[in-house]
Amino acid sequence: MEEDRVLSSVHSTVFKESESLEGKCDKIEGYDFNQGVNYPKLLRSMLTTGFQASNLGDVIDVVNQMLEWRLSDETIAPEDCSEEEKDPAYRESVKCKIFLGFTSNLVSSGVRETIRYLVQHHMVDVIVTTTGGVEEDLIKCLAPTFKGDFSLPGAYLRSKGLNRIGNLLVPNDNYCKFEDWIIPIFDQMLKEQKEESVLWTPSKLLARLGKEINNESSYLYWAYKMNIPVFCRGLTDGSLGDMLYFHSFRTSGLVIDVVQDIRAMNGEAVHATPRKTGMIILGGGLPKHHICNANMMRNGADYAVFINTGQEFDGSDSGARPDEAVSWGKIRGSAKTVKVYCDATIAFPLLVAETFASKREQSCEHKT
Amino acid sequence: MSDEEHHFESSDAGASKTYPQQAGNIRKGGYIVIKGRPCKVVEVSTSKTGKHGHAKCHFVAIDIFTSKKLEDIVPSSHNCDVPHVNRVDYQLIDISEDGFVSLLTDNGSTKDDLKLPTDEALLTQLKSGFEEGKDIVVSVMSAMGEEQMCALKEVSPK
Repeated sequence: MEEDRVLSSVHSTVFKESESLEGKCDKIEGYDFNQGVNYPKLLRSMLTTGFQASNLGDVIDVVNQMLEWRLSDETIAPEDCSEEEKDPAYRESVKCKIFLGFTSNLVSSGVRETIRYLVQHHMVDVIVTTTGGVEEDLIKCLAPTFKGDFSLPGAYLRSKGLNRIGNLLVPNDNYCKFEDWIIPIFDQMLKEQKEESVLWTPSKLLARLGKEINNESSYLYWAYKMNIPVFCRGLTDGSLGDMLYFHSFRTSGLVIDVVQDIRAMNGEAVHATPRKTGMIILGGGLPKHHICNANMMRNGADYAVFINTGQEFDGSDSGARPDEAVSWGKIRGSAKTVKVYCDATIAFPLLVAETFASKREQSCEHKT
Repeated sequence: MSDEEHHFESSDAGASKTYPQQAGNIRKGGYIVIKGRPCKVVEVSTSKTGKHGHAKCHFVAIDIFTSKKLEDIVPSSHNCDVPHVNRVDYQLIDISEDGFVSLLTDNGSTKDDLKLPTDEALLTQLKSGFEEGKDIVVSVMSAMGEEQMCALKEVSPK
């Protein structure tokens, strides 16, 4: 009798009646390879596979929303609308403004080709990166980066003049070629500064380098051609900075104005209205914070997608989730946000395949 | 790429004021031209080829005439200008009112275009020695069309 009561209370604890999730949540179901090896279906199945696969599926969803949004989706607020803004045809044409940020290691990797595709077809509006993110792109036009291994010993590599970036190798010679290429450009820029009163900023410098490299494999070249500004907050922290340092000994006087660039970057966010803004940020560090900070000036971005491996337990901004940015006003409370914890070399090409690239393929098919 | 400005003085023809030397071969205690000034090297450090490009020599040097500290960084395979630095001794004849000295050259003629030294200690020693009627021999350092008294010694009359 005692035993029965104990048993029944244990029974009711273990088999506690659950709330039904049917209809409220998606069922978990992975891809069935019996369908064959169908990559688009495989990628779509990630949404219901769970863990980071589901997060990636969510990211794909949010980016597609970013790409599909038009001003005509919003109800007109008559008070603060100009006549032009009320015109339906105009409203159909207004799209989301997309900020793309990435760290330099991704440019050293093959993700550089994915970035170049986006810039080439003007699929993003503003780019923010680190110094390495710029020079690695330029150097690849002069000499290639090679695949190595994480475990190659440092002292051995140094003796061979090879620099290791993760499991990639960049020979010293590549940087020598970069130096030989860029110093005459700095000389010319200094001349223009003195004779034509040009005041250089990081973004103007980068546009100039994109023009000078004149190579279709470079995303910086396409950014120059498509008039997409590239902002680099920490321009001196890389080989480019080393070149500026050495140039200042031989022929000093080159001035690079960062104040003008902060006006320009924040202006991109502030003057985006009536467009919505979306952030796609790969990695952490400077690009992540700089884009979020600029969007704070317009009371927050409307879409935010983070792809990085950072953790929040140390309080770093790199590891912070989108919700932390909401507390700062960098992302709106009403925004669609997703963070996927994944190395961008895996996640980003897959993301672009299911969003930017597939939309372009579809629209190309419609035209033919 | 040696793009320093050269100050071409109109003085002695024939002998060149500088000669080229590879940056990697210039040592501490040697001479180098930085920003057109002849300097004596007090420190050299080399950074190996790397992310910053070619191997580079970092020179810290002192202008031999103004004693100002100057710095330069040069790729080690590039050529630098090295000044020809000469030291000639002359016997002091006279100190003029307008700050010049009169010197006796080897071939018996006078040299009157050398200014008094700017170095306080040297100037005092020169003036007092001359006033006391001592025989003074001055050392004149010259490089790149500029010259300056750099030392003096009192010679006992024979």
